[in-house]
Amino acid sequence: MVCSTIREIITYTSQKYGEADAVRYKISKNEIGAKSYQALRTDSERFSAALKELGEQGQHVALTGMTSYAWLVAYFGIVNSKSVAVPLDVSLPAAEMCDLIDRADATVFVADEVRADVIAAAKESCPKLKYIISMQKEESSPEVLSFWQLVNGQEPGFSCEVQPDDLATIMFTSGTTGKSKGVMLTHRNMAENATCLDMKFEEHSVLLSVLPIHHAYCLSMDILKGLSTGAVICINDSLIRMAKNIRLFKPNIILMVPLMIETMAKKLEDAQGLPPEIVKKEVFGEQFHTICSGGAYLPPAMLDLFGKYGITILQGYGMTECAPVISTTVSWNVRKGTVGQLIPNCEAKTVDEELWVRGSSVMQGYYKMPEETKAALTEDGWLRTGDLGYVDEDGFVHLTGRKKNLIITKNGENVSPEELENKIGENRLVQEILVRENEGVIEAEIFPDYEYAEKKAITDIRAALQEIIDAYNEGAVAYKKVYRLKVRETEFEKTPSKKIKRY
Amino acid sequence: MFEKLVEIICNYVEVEPADVQRESRFMEDLGFTSFDFMSMLGELEDEFDVEIEQQEAAGIRTVGEAVDYLTKLAEKQ
Repeated sequence: MVCSTIREIITYTSQKYGEADAVRYKISKNEIGAKSYQALRTDSERFSAALKELGEQGQHVALTGMTSYAWLVAYFGIVNSKSVAVPLDVSLPAAEMCDLIDRADATVFVADEVRADVIAAAKESCPKLKYIISMQKEESSPEVLSFWQLVNGQEPGFSCEVQPDDLATIMFTSGTTGKSKGVMLTHRNMAENATCLDMKFEEHSVLLSVLPIHHAYCLSMDILKGLSTGAVICINDSLIRMAKNIRLFKPNIILMVPLMIETMAKKLEDAQGLPPEIVKKEVFGEQFHTICSGGAYLPPAMLDLFGKYGITILQGYGMTECAPVISTTVSWNVRKGTVGQLIPNCEAKTVDEELWVRGSSVMQGYYKMPEETKAALTEDGWLRTGDLGYVDEDGFVHLTGRKKNLIITKNGENVSPEELENKIGENRLVQEILVRENEGVIEAEIFPDYEYAEKKAITDIRAALQEIIDAYNEGAVAYKKVYRLKVRETEFEKTPSKKIKRY
Repeated sequence: MFEKLVEIICNYVEVEPADVQRESRFMEDLGFTSFDFMSMLGELEDEFDVEIEQQEAAGIRTVGEAVDYLTKLAEKQ
């Protein structure tokens, strides 16, 4: 069933699947707890009512934490009360997270206690915030409210008319100038993206959610699509324990990014010589059958390798600006070398080699960034993807390169090289810098200011530059860290407009 | 603990045991990806019977820091 609001997904599935498990999570090392579709609806409606009682219904609510039942209750409670959820990366440095809370105009911040540092910092540096709510705190205090005390203090049955074109979520994505852009997605954008294509997953399929929940791919495909198909979403409490959690939850399906798939491939290859069914049983369990891949390029050889073990890889393509899926492979129609067919709510065309897409998943724009919005969206609703590619006569999408200057890491994170170049380039010793991806890691190539080095009597220039990189890495989120340094003796080659030639 | 850790490291990345020092950095020097590193931490949990916090472990950069962290955990737990 195609749903046009997230509220419809929650209402429809609570009626259809009722007491069946919607979410499973670990309550101890080897014990599983569960919440039903009905409980998810009831709890999230109670949180909607709590927001109303606080006088914050319709406001922007920032949300950060590891994937958890509380996170899901908060998210659905926010968007289904006509408020706007702003999911934030739990691993961001505190100052960056506070900046995003402020730029998103959030008046409420729901946070996981793993980020107690952000809770403390937000009190000081986010003047628009009226309430901070802790997902773990048992008792409310004047400064920090208890999430579960708020939820349990409300009667079930909150209702309000959510419209498909109401703004539901602002998701931050990497910006070229170093300022993250807030992608504005409506209920229609997200709900139709998740429900317009029937991928024929069996009801009550067990799905292990391992990707970060603030990512559009995880939120749309794991959570919204998972719930809309009646799946059981199992929460992987930590990437450290993914192998153990596969044994514990016994999933049928996992959404992964290429980095994970390639690491799993190494495990499979290490066991070569043993019968494939034994290896599959050992690594994934007998019941496992599908990996959905997205976020970055996946080498086509992976499809064959996993195929030998009876595992289908369904590769997709998308971007946050498109809520996020643009195309995906389905199990009954795989064409290697493509990223699947356009999903039904999406059309595409190629303009000057660049792929443009239009449809009900395309964002409303970047929050309070009219210039960037104008650069990304045409007046008649086409989104310039920044990717080079085309759609063939059968609707399969072929990607041939990238127009935008963006590093897409194997774990699906987007990194703007300019952001890193500007930060590291602030140091006087750095005269010119180019940041790029090389063999899977981010590399900085620097032409130092040799005159400055002489003046300051710096003899070991490489060591001094490494110190600059180390200092930058200290405050950077993991996927933006620079792991390789190249030192140049000559200036970079320039374009006629005096910019460094990137390629 | 150091020797055992080196043995496990060599199952994840292609390095010789002799090349793994306390100062070796997992990502920069040994060629770990972030996911390799997380997977290895899972194995270390079993090997040393400890429970590792992902957020705490994110700060580990070198083999020496991993040894110190694991030693501290083993004593505490």
